[in-house]
Amino acid sequence: MELILAAAECDPSVDIICAPSNVNELFEFREAIWTIGGFPITRTVFLILAVAVIASALLFFGLRKKSVIPSKFQAMTESLVSYVRDDIAIDIIGPEGIKYVPWLLSVFLFVLIGNMYEVTPGVNFPVTSRMALPAMLAAITWTVFVIAGIKRQGFRYFTGIIWPTSVPVALRPLVGLIEFFSILVIRPLTLAVRLFANLVAGHLMLTLLLVSGWVFLSSIGDIGARAGIGLAWFIMGLGIFVFEIVVIMLQAYIFTLLSAVYVQSSLYPEH
Amino acid sequence: MELDALAGALKLVGYGLAAIGPGIGIGIVAGSAIEAMARQPEAAGVARTTMFLGIAFTEALALIGFVLFFIA
Repeated sequence: MELILAAAECDPSVDIICAPSNVNELFEFREAIWTIGGFPITRTVFLILAVAVIASALLFFGLRKKSVIPSKFQAMTESLVSYVRDDIAIDIIGPEGIKYVPWLLSVFLFVLIGNMYEVTPGVNFPVTSRMALPAMLAAITWTVFVIAGIKRQGFRYFTGIIWPTSVPVALRPLVGLIEFFSILVIRPLTLAVRLFANLVAGHLMLTLLLVSGWVFLSSIGDIGARAGIGLAWFIMGLGIFVFEIVVIMLQAYIFTLLSAVYVQSSLYPEH
Repeated sequence: MELDALAGALKLVGYGLAAIGPGIGIGIVAGSAIEAMARQPEAAGVARTTMFLGIAFTEALALIGFVLFFIA
């Protein structure tokens, strides 16, 4: 509602595009609701903490009884865990991928539940659409795969990136430079931005379509039959809603998959 | 005409240009993956994982364009 009214300040005869007043809002946290021991708790921080609680509760209650004939809830939780363990960690990293399962499962559940807020009625705000969160997750992934490389290969991990011995000598400086940037800079950057961009785009589409549909339909008394266009936007918004559920799961999967692939490429540089 | 507004419009055009290459690339990746799955349905799992990886790496240029939209 406020979004639509804010755009009314823009004069289409003067401005080329009616941009929101400040896109930097996407990179910032809002004002605090409470302050606990010097840490301000904004709505975003509260939702992030809620993700941790929901993920822990899911795993705790899902795997508490461990019965041989699982209940539906236990079967769902087990298939989630075994999917990350078998299809992501062991398939991509190899037998020693089992060591990375706790981290990968945490990342997967965190991103999945954080994204799920986007389609949760009443919340409608994916916490992963604030840049700080994907950036932090990507920084953790960066740390894990660099440490995995150093543990496996020692200092040769860095020399192997800068001076790759598998290409002809004349090309090594060029390929080394490209590899250095692509592995240590582009990888975490794209990992963070992919999640951020997909969630921001989905959030904006849902907000614009559903809110403008609602604004049109609710002002039927003022503009008469022209309010019917709101119905079309509302239906389109509901279509995008279903599409966004797919995007949410896909992005959580891709984030985890790429984290596993980066660790694998640190452990086995020749592949 | 305001220079700021023009710069904003140019950013949008720049992002559109940055998305052309990855768009074509993702199309090729997904098309080849579908072909592989149709030829060898028993290898569909491997093809799907590899397809997502290929898409993720191809997307990188579009994502860099998206970042430049904000910082340029």
